[in-house]
Amino acid sequence: MNRILAAMAMTGAIGMTTGAMASEGKPIEVTGEIIDTWCYFSGVMGGPDAVVGSAHHTCAMWCAAGGIPVGMLTPDGTVYMVVKWEGNADLADGQALLDVQSHTIKAKGMAYERDGINYIFVEDVLEDQGIVNLTHEDYGVIPGFAIPDSRIEQ
Amino acid sequence: MRAPLVVLATLIAAPALAGDYSEGSNANSWGLTGEEKATFTATVTDAVCALTSDCPADCGAGERVMVLVRESDGMVIPATKNLQTGFQGPTWDLAPYCGQTVQVDGLMVGDDPKLGGRLYQVQMIKPDGGDWTKANGFTRPWEARNPDATGKGPWFRRDPHVRARLEDTGYLGLGQEADDVFIAEEY
Repeated sequence: MNRILAAMAMTGAIGMTTGAMASEGKPIEVTGEIIDTWCYFSGVMGGPDAVVGSAHHTCAMWCAAGGIPVGMLTPDGTVYMVVKWEGNADLADGQALLDVQSHTIKAKGMAYERDGINYIFVEDVLEDQGIVNLTHEDYGVIPGFAIPDSRIEQ
Repeated sequence: MRAPLVVLATLIAAPALAGDYSEGSNANSWGLTGEEKATFTATVTDAVCALTSDCPADCGAGERVMVLVRESDGMVIPATKNLQTGFQGPTWDLAPYCGQTVQVDGLMVGDDPKLGGRLYQVQMIKPDGGDWTKANGFTRPWEARNPDATGKGPWFRRDPHVRARLEDTGYLGLGQEADDVFIAEEY
């Protein structure tokens, strides 16, 4: 019994140590859409298919301007939390990444995985395809008030 | 023999207990996907610091993506939203506590299997020896950074950087002509 307890205690200790260790980055080249992570994962604006692309473009800019973390959604559904962009770590300054919201980007950089979350330090943007996910055709705009009356009445 | 069995049972139950941080939480429900109230003690830092050795003393003073390193298990948790309704992140709420141990109260969010972890909405922050404060600190720093963005309406309608992009590429991001077509068809 004592050996079993010792082994289990050791396993727990190893797990705690691993959880506290710094992650090791890996070079990565990846293509994905720049999205707002809060709306995508929280469901606050609806399902994930509706809160990407052109339907959600204005909201994504609002969230990025508000300092909500931006993500990179790859075709297989993996989302990387973007924490550096071309050397800049100040991504919550209200301006960074506004120009690429909803764009599909090919980038290279360093990827990290920590406690189940994927992070990416984008070093170079290799290609910017612009907005190619035309979700407004299926969902309109999300949220519905994204386009103000003043624009609609023009 | 009884004592070792109790210890064994405790060790077996520990992982399940470790995942429940709802006890003592006074967080407000937002009805979000995978929502779970959670209050815990954590060290405040920024994501770049947590992943590498790039650790400015002020965690970027509100301009870096912030994380919470939970004291009980060392888990790094992305802090994604603050208490305010209306597109505000928590960086300006958390940065003043950079490097400090605080207690937070809020919501763990998300159940996407592709997301192996979960995100956190910070609603309240309590520094060591201090009082609970609401995580609603976005607006004043935004006003300080944008002194000319006055007028009616919420901040996100007045934000000059967003407005410039909207004037350039429209609400769909596809140009003003695409907006014209969409508005004509939908409104």
